[in-house]
Amino acid sequence: MSLQEAAALVGDGDVVALQNMATQAAPMAMVRELIRAGKKNLGVVCLVGGMPVDWLAAAGVIDRFIGAAVSMETFGLCQQYRKAVEEGRVRVEELSETSLNARLGAGARNLPSLPTRGLIGTDLIDINENLKTFQDPFTGETLVACRALVPDVALIHAHRCDEMGNVQYDPTIIWPDLGIMPKAAKKTIVTCEEIVDTEVLRRNPDRTVLPYFRVDAVVEVPYGAHPTSFYPKYTYDTRFHLEWVKVARDDEATKAFMDTYIFGPETQADYLDAVGGAERLMEVTRL
Amino acid sequence: MSDVEYTVDEIMCTALAAQYRDGDEVCNGMASFIPIAAIMLARMTTTPDLVWLAGAAGVDPRPAKVAASTLENPLWGDSVMYLEQYSDFWHYAQNGRNLQIFCVGAAQLDMYGNPNNSVIGTDYHRPKVRLPGTAGLGDMGSLGKRLFYWNPNHSPRALVEKVDFRSAAGFLGGGDEREKLGLTGGPEIVVTNLGVMDFHPVSKRMRLRSVHPGQTVESVQAATGFELLLPDDGNVPETTKPTAEQVRLLREVIDPDAHCKREAGVKV
Repeated sequence: MSLQEAAALVGDGDVVALQNMATQAAPMAMVRELIRAGKKNLGVVCLVGGMPVDWLAAAGVIDRFIGAAVSMETFGLCQQYRKAVEEGRVRVEELSETSLNARLGAGARNLPSLPTRGLIGTDLIDINENLKTFQDPFTGETLVACRALVPDVALIHAHRCDEMGNVQYDPTIIWPDLGIMPKAAKKTIVTCEEIVDTEVLRRNPDRTVLPYFRVDAVVEVPYGAHPTSFYPKYTYDTRFHLEWVKVARDDEATKAFMDTYIFGPETQADYLDAVGGAERLMEVTRL
Repeated sequence: MSDVEYTVDEIMCTALAAQYRDGDEVCNGMASFIPIAAIMLARMTTTPDLVWLAGAAGVDPRPAKVAASTLENPLWGDSVMYLEQYSDFWHYAQNGRNLQIFCVGAAQLDMYGNPNNSVIGTDYHRPKVRLPGTAGLGDMGSLGKRLFYWNPNHSPRALVEKVDFRSAAGFLGGGDEREKLGLTGGPEIVVTNLGVMDFHPVSKRMRLRSVHPGQTVESVQAATGFELLLPDDGNVPETTKPTAEQVRLLREVIDPDAHCKREAGVKV
């Protein structure tokens, strides 16, 4: 399947769960395709969103964010996202990590809600209709019920898949969101570094992390997480992040950046050429 | 002892490192070079058995030095195990048996140790400044953890009488308010570029424990947006200076790339 065909599975207004942890492991090629396709009014769910959330906000694709934080970590705040929130174009449902996990966990398990002990005493409960305190029927203790969240689509990037949609991950730290987002979402779209024969996956079934019956589309996109890191294959692109940070405070420069890297390149190979080609790929694969 | 030359990030590191005891278990968050250097220093010197979960994911790591990111490889180099961030980490962190200490920054911190990493301004949905978000801190404040705050930019804008928004539970309105909600643990220490603060055991108000050399009670007070309590005897000592060996370890071994210095605004 092509990125365009996969993006057609995402409807305007959908809630999209996006694999990402600051500068790590985001399905960036898919994010660029959502922007090119002109999607509107999406909600985006992230544990910690980074550059993809900044881009989606800059392009006017999202009107709400559901998650625990938005930050590019050492590269600082996401300025386009920040501006969109401050101007009221993006609404934030700010959750702690356990309450986001509980909302998605309830979605995955077909429960109306799951509880957490987190957030008690904060201002985050009162402003969120999806969080309510209640007394535990066994202990009487006050807990926070987190309403089930069932995203319309989960977007994941993986090391390899087969054509049927079995998804394999190489050993690395933090499998961000794989454990929960595809299990909570109605549909899952996986981009991957390579599509291989099923026989290849059978050699290491312990590395297969999602079964084909939970996956709706697979697209082969080498370096599909660039400029975020995707260990053990490549690290985050420092120079690219710095370039984005430099332009993101200025709307005109942001537009030019997006023309160069999102609207201009027609294929993934064109994109990789635009970001610096073989030289840059050698840089990010030097771990 | 002859005077040792040191920089402000270094005294922040040694002040933080001095808080740890062998057997403590600590995890670090995002963009936290000084806390990480402090943990590495403590593990190399006074508390070799300090348990460290790097980036809330790498168990007992042995990074060669402070890395360019505190939430990316190679921070967790040579770990003995990786925890999965979303669920596995929180299985350990959601009960009181493990990972009791969380060293964290706050854009605003108030006199009762309540942090704000959410919004500056009065309208949550149209904020003056949208901050990154509560992330794991919104949980840590309510889960009985010991919170160690750090901030290299001590100012009246950062240390405020009341936060614009309470992103996590500190001592709430002070006194026994936290206990009444059934919450244990809470804020314990605040290490800034000017001094070290703790919290009064009864009122839970922030209290000046020591001032860094070159600072006075008055200068720290002037940089704080509320009245700091003083120790009962009124005597505020100087923060213990880094030793020559601590400075050597920090510069040559732990942070040769000077990430902590840049974080603290020290010229490199």
